[in-house]
This record gives sequence, C-alpha cells and structure tokens, in this order.
Amino acid sequence: MIYSDVALSAVCLAVVLDLFLLKSRMMTRGIFWLTYFLILPFQLLTNWWLTSNKIVMYTDTEIIGQRLAGAPIEDLLFGFSMILLTISAWEFFKDRLNKNKISL
Amino acid sequence: MENLHYAYVLIFIAICAVGVNFGFKLHFSKKLKLFLLTDSLILVIYLIWDFWAVSKGSWFFDSNQILGIMLLGKLPIEEVLFFIIVPMMTVLTYLALTKLTGWGRENEEMK
Repeated sequence: MIYSDVALSAVCLAVVLDLFLLKSRMMTRGIFWLTYFLILPFQLLTNWWLTSNKIVMYTDTEIIGQRLAGAPIEDLLFGFSMILLTISAWEFFKDRLNKNKISL
Repeated sequence: MENLHYAYVLIFIAICAVGVNFGFKLHFSKKLKLFLLTDSLILVIYLIWDFWAVSKGSWFFDSNQILGIMLLGKLPIEEVLFFIIVPMMTVLTYLALTKLTGWGRENEEMK
C-alpha cells in the first residue's frame, strides 16, 4: 500500500460514505462541485509552497511520480476525499442536530 | 523565522477563514458544535492515515521548517492544525457559496 493506493481508497471511502452511509449525496449537487473547484487552486497554491520549499518531502517509491504544482498527483485524490467528506459529514450532522431539536 | 514556514500556510488559511466568515456574515461561532462533530470524523481518519504514512516514510518533514512540537513524537503539530483549519475553511467556503448562489440543500428540498 503506497500513497497512491491509500489516496485512491480514501476517495472510494469518501464516495461510499457520502452516497450510502451518511446519505448527504453531496456529489450529486452542484454546490459541492462549485465549492470543490473554488478550493482546488488554493490546494495547489499551498501544495506548491510546501513542496517547493521542501517543507514536506515524499519518498519516490511511495508515489507514481507524476507531479502537479510541485506535489504528487496523489494529493489531488487526498484533497478531493477530504473536501467531500467534510461537507458530507457537515450536512449529516446538521440534519442530526436539527432532528434532535424537533424531538425535544 | 524558518521554523514558521509550514505555519505560514495555516496562518494564510486562517486569515481567509476570518475574512470569509465576517465578509459573508456566516456566524460560524454559532456552529461550533456542528463543526466539532464534523471535524472529529476528519481528524480520526486523516490523523491515523498521516501517522501511518509518516511511520512508514511515505512523506516526511524538514525539521528546520516546522515548529518542532510533535504529536506522539512523529507528527508535527502543524499537521493536526491543518486537519482543523482546512475543514473549517472548506465549510466556510461551502456556506459562503450556498449563500451567494442559493443552491443550498434546503432550497432544493423546499421546491
């Protein structure tokens, strides 16, 4: 399991959680994709800062080697999974908190 | 100042977060409980991943460019803060765009 495998697994986990377990289904909503594509350039900016200054470094055998803005391409998968999971969990817990309020 | 190099990223995102919160009047401080629930899930998943990856050497940090406070002797404190500040900024971006576009879930469901 190198970074590439884990990053791909993280995307799968986030998608399964979003669609079937948390059931927020953010992936089916335009607002999620709009949010994602607004954040993406900022992810690339911070990736560039962290990698071009060698603040964070990656072991060659842990990545496929393709890079974007200085960082391994796998970082895109990591970023996508975290943004999806964050918004999906936010909507899930928001519904839960609201339901609790009504039942009280 | 070199040891602040990673922290600059966090400071930059935190400034953006404060600006978006007040600029769009999002009242994030009233949603801290919801954020805490959301981020606890993120922290559990991504800190385990991070800790495991650092342990096996998938990635590593320049000790001169971090503050030097390490969680469990391995993870820079910046990594922990990253998994708090970035989800916070993600939520704020989502809330701001929802307000701006009116594409929120509530609006869709009311149709």
